[in-house]
Amino acid sequence: MAAVLTEAEVAGLDKTTVVDARGVACPGPMIEAKKSMSSIGLGEIMELWSSDSGTKEDMGYWAEMAGHTFLGAVPARGYDRLFIRRGK
Amino acid sequence: MADSKKLVFMVTHGPDNPEMAITPFVMAGAASSADITVVMGFQGEGVRIVKKGVAETIAASKVMPLSELLNTIREFGGTFLVASPAIKSRGISEQDLIEGAQVVNASRFVAEIMSATNVLIY
Repeated sequence: MAAVLTEAEVAGLDKTTVVDARGVACPGPMIEAKKSMSSIGLGEIMELWSSDSGTKEDMGYWAEMAGHTFLGAVPARGYDRLFIRRGK
Repeated sequence: MADSKKLVFMVTHGPDNPEMAITPFVMAGAASSADITVVMGFQGEGVRIVKKGVAETIAASKVMPLSELLNTIREFGGTFLVASPAIKSRGISEQDLIEGAQVVNASRFVAEIMSATNVLIY
């Protein structure tokens, strides 16, 4: 189960970039995450927007396989905001 | 952690069964996005997918279009191996295949399978 972050926790994250993957079907959000991850520095945080309901369940597995850290998600209007820290 | 992992996806369906044709591409797309080495092997009706113009005609609901997945997997370094006998028996020439498709025989498939972390057959 994906960790649900509070607004206060989200506000405390030092996000580097936002990737808008809304409207993209599986496994598109993970593909968009990979394509954009190289644009941020090691240890920095990507915010990924996805309207695919399965993404927040998949992201933890993806991040572990890809060498990153999934910090959690927070629901927005019709989509989820997911936060991933670049690990390599 | 995944740098040395390799998955082989054997694809044996094409336009005859769009859902079974696209599912290995969904899995391979997810794998390649996680930096796992992907090899896709096309046999039987699966070889039709890598004939120019065919991937664009195959779709299934709630997943990315097959042609987009194919292009992404190729962009991420995926390998596409096509069974020689299967294209010959269908009248498909090497020139008919998409860019990057390699025509191979059984031993190449076996070599890829033996060196893989896991093999999935569709």
